Amino acid sequence: MSSSKRPATSGRGTGAHSPARSWRWSVSDIVVASVLAVASGVIFWGWNLSYHLIGNLFVFYPPVETLVHGMWLFPAVLGALVIRKPGAAIYCEMVAAAVSALLGSQWGLTVLSSGFMQGLGAELIFLAVAYRRFSLEFAMAAGAASGLTGGITYHWIVPMYAYAPTETIIHITCFALSGAIIAGVLPWLATRGLAAASVLGPLNSRRAHREPRLSLGRAHG
Amino acid sequence: MGERVDAGAGDLAGTPVPEPGSATRAHPARGVAVTAQRWSWTHAERERAAVAGLDLQISPGEKVLLAGPSGAGKSTLLHALAAVLHDDEAEVHGRLLLDGVDPEQARGRAGLMQQDPESQVVLSRIGDDVAFSAENLAVPREQIWQRVRAALTDVGLHSFDLDHPSAKLSGGQKQRLALAGILAMRPGLLLLDEPTANLDPEGVRQVRDAVLAAAEATGATVILVEHRLEVWAEHMDTLLVLETGGGIRRSSPAAEIFTDAALREELAGMGLWVPGRDPLQDLPVWRGGTERQDWTERLGGTGRKQAEPLLLAEGLAVGRHSPKPGWRRAQPAPPTVKDLDLVIRRGQTLGITGANGAGKSTLLLTLAGLLPAHAGSVSATAELKGAGALLAEDPHKWRSADLVARIGVVFQEPEHQFVRSTVREELALGAQQAEVPGTTDPLFDEQQIDDRVARLLERLGLTELAEANPFTLSGGEKRRLSVGTVLSAGPEVLMLDEPTFGQDARTFAELISLLREHVDSGGTVLAVTHDAAFLRGLHASEHQVRREEPVTPDEQRGGERSDPPGGELFGPERSLSWLGRRNALAKLIAVFLITAALVMTIDAVSSGVVILASLALLPLAGIRPGGFLRRVWPFAAGAVVAAWGTAIAAEESGRVLADLGFTTISEGSITLGLALGARAFAIVLPSVIVFSTTDPTDLADSLAQQLRLPARFVLSALAAMRLLGLLAEHWRTIGHARRARGVGAHGGLTARMRGTASQAFGLLVQAIRMATRLAVTMESRGFGAGPRSWARPARFSAADLPVILGGAGIGALAVTAAVLAGAWNFVWT
Repeated sequence: MSSSKRPATSGRGTGAHSPARSWRWSVSDIVVASVLAVASGVIFWGWNLSYHLIGNLFVFYPPVETLVHGMWLFPAVLGALVIRKPGAAIYCEMVAAAVSALLGSQWGLTVLSSGFMQGLGAELIFLAVAYRRFSLEFAMAAGAASGLTGGITYHWIVPMYAYAPTETIIHITCFALSGAIIAGVLPWLATRGLAAASVLGPLNSRRAHREPRLSLGRAHG
Repeated sequence: MGERVDAGAGDLAGTPVPEPGSATRAHPARGVAVTAQRWSWTHAERERAAVAGLDLQISPGEKVLLAGPSGAGKSTLLHALAAVLHDDEAEVHGRLLLDGVDPEQARGRAGLMQQDPESQVVLSRIGDDVAFSAENLAVPREQIWQRVRAALTDVGLHSFDLDHPSAKLSGGQKQRLALAGILAMRPGLLLLDEPTANLDPEGVRQVRDAVLAAAEATGATVILVEHRLEVWAEHMDTLLVLETGGGIRRSSPAAEIFTDAALREELAGMGLWVPGRDPLQDLPVWRGGTERQDWTERLGGTGRKQAEPLLLAEGLAVGRHSPKPGWRRAQPAPPTVKDLDLVIRRGQTLGITGANGAGKSTLLLTLAGLLPAHAGSVSATAELKGAGALLAEDPHKWRSADLVARIGVVFQEPEHQFVRSTVREELALGAQQAEVPGTTDPLFDEQQIDDRVARLLERLGLTELAEANPFTLSGGEKRRLSVGTVLSAGPEVLMLDEPTFGQDARTFAELISLLREHVDSGGTVLAVTHDAAFLRGLHASEHQVRREEPVTPDEQRGGERSDPPGGELFGPERSLSWLGRRNALAKLIAVFLITAALVMTIDAVSSGVVILASLALLPLAGIRPGGFLRRVWPFAAGAVVAAWGTAIAAEESGRVLADLGFTTISEGSITLGLALGARAFAIVLPSVIVFSTTDPTDLADSLAQQLRLPARFVLSALAAMRLLGLLAEHWRTIGHARRARGVGAHGGLTARMRGTASQAFGLLVQAIRMATRLAVTMESRGFGAGPRSWARPARFSAADLPVILGGAGIGALAVTAAVLAGAWNFVWT
């Protein structure tokens, strides 16, 4: 975490000290998360259309198709990394899913349950560290967790597949793997890039580019 | 709801346009007194205060022009007064008061207008957009529409229907709409942060007149920040000049701007446009360029040598969208410019002018080889191609490397062009990309590239900032860098899109000076512009383009033609079908019930029932079967893929039809696959039907009012949806800019993926910038502060009952049919 944090003062009057950063969402948090989510929903829509072709790449062994399914998970982690408030992962993933459904998605209304469950996976990782760690390994863990809960949804909660046990395990493992890379590494890189471009001014992630890449194995100060 | 709104708009349509100043509404004529007492603000992480020790007293109704060097904290002060400056870690001292109260406690008393018209609009219909601020202040519903109409009248937009799409307004009209939204709060203080900087001259006049009329009618206090003093100075009372690092350098009557020579020089030194002072007066005398007369003479062949042509356009037609029909568009998009003939000659300075929406930018991109011509041709002469280069005639067919060394394009938004993480790398990129004509050998070696970069850094005054991230530069620095990135490859022709838009006088003069040097060293300049001073500065000839399409009624009322952003995805028109008029939540419940029935079982019978029912219901939704099939066929293809996947990967059962070694295809797995495929297709249909007849605004109203989802989130998501079309526009332009800079358009898979990643990052930056400005707009209109009212009630009516019952009925029918047919295959076993 940042070691150069100044004493926090806030409020209009002189010197009213605020406690540690608030978990309440500001208007900026909500609007930025919404725009990210809606834009992601449109990317889903485009990706859904191209997936009709890309999906055919796996025609010889469909269970590994989830190797590219991380594309459907990135809003959860991106939202959490940029906003850094409880619920960001679930909100961004669900709104993105809802927008893709509004535009027409091959999964119809079931995207809402997938969106919630995928967001939940990422959310749980950041909840586990009390929304204090946003380094690479947690981003990847969140992406993988999102793939895991997504896979569980596909197979047991709102089943969209009817695979044999081995195929089911392969399917879910590839989903988590894809989540860690496409929805873990890429959003993490994007967030650092955005912070370096100083466009995250009003958000808690504005110093993301100056934070250490990894937080495990380091002395916390 | 819709009926009521329309009736109101109808009444207004007949009202004559009020003269500025005559807009006497029922506003409380009361301005706010503004006080600062030793007020300081330091952003988190900054050493220096944005504003320090400010003491200020502004009387009610006073009109203040706020000036100061860049970085003196003008915007910080406006944002603090509008109570939109939040930073948990900022240091604040002293007090800032509106009529003696903290701005945070005076929500609705101050309204803020920012520079970028796009982020000043919140909702997709003008009536809703104005109502938004009144709703946020919990104004009772009966009064809201009254306030909306009054505000629209005050800003001269009353001739539009309340349902008119805000996206179809011109920049000036959008700013007036923003003003109407502010006026609907009945504020006593108007905070204007460069409100006319991004507008064309006509828009500037409209917005200024509307602001002055509103201030006159309401007695509101006005605090204005603006570069172009000539537009505003004579109408303001007081000039306040802030000092960098804190305090007020000067406070005097605004009229002194015209009379006090020392003050005028001081203001010019801050980059302001001082009335009657030419920012180019400090530049050396210049004799280059093609003044119109001179050029005609040359064309007339009066004995002087005629310059060589570089680029020819013959019978050219251009359009923003591909001339090929799209999958969602039956008709190819019509061109915006037709039958254009143009010769661009060496050493020429040419301005392309014409009304908004006439297709000037599109023309520029087409001439620059970034867009294909709709008809006719663009051809480069041997002079431009260079000796020995075996290039195609049409620049659009060139590789990026050939393009960057010949035609450089400077985009209106400098950030669209940035692809590297430091200023130095940005400037090196063009030189690295350039290749020796006809080969793939680099044109410059390492040493030459370093020299070019060093010279450019020096010339652009960016040496100190060589390692800075381009996105963190000031507006003027970004503009200079964007020109520098293009000059780096040494192109002969420079094409610029509105290069002086929103720039201060100093940047303007620097830009002119750079372009004059380019011409002096044998270069050619072509610019799309509204700026007469720019054309004069370059002694440019002028080519006016006229739009081809007939004028629509909207435009006769003063609107700008532009494709409604988002129009392709979410049209502003509500579906008028039976289903379209039903409550959004009722429709959502119906789809939910049908989907739930389908999810419970994997069988072809229940899916078949839903598919048939959906097709039978098309007339209720006003959807023609042909259009529907065009829309859903990709989903059918997806269903086939799902069927195949299951056939391969499902547990073996029944007779084995094929053994692939690692897996088998059996009778059982095929049956299961077919059932899953049918179900996948059936799940799509009801949601496509319902969502294509549901307006996002209505859905949001229902979700927030009936389902009680948190209004802050629902409305933000709705406002974000309005930005979709703009984001799509940015995506396209950023893509063009990538090609213009030679990134990702060609090469192997890795290069393309890097190009796409760079384009996606560029879009992300723009998305967050827009979101941040939009958040300020929304918050300054009272959003998120407390309980709100709703201008349009969302509730069930008797006619919505059949929708819910219909959904339940179809779901039940599907389940019953599956059970009776013995196909029922419950999933949670």
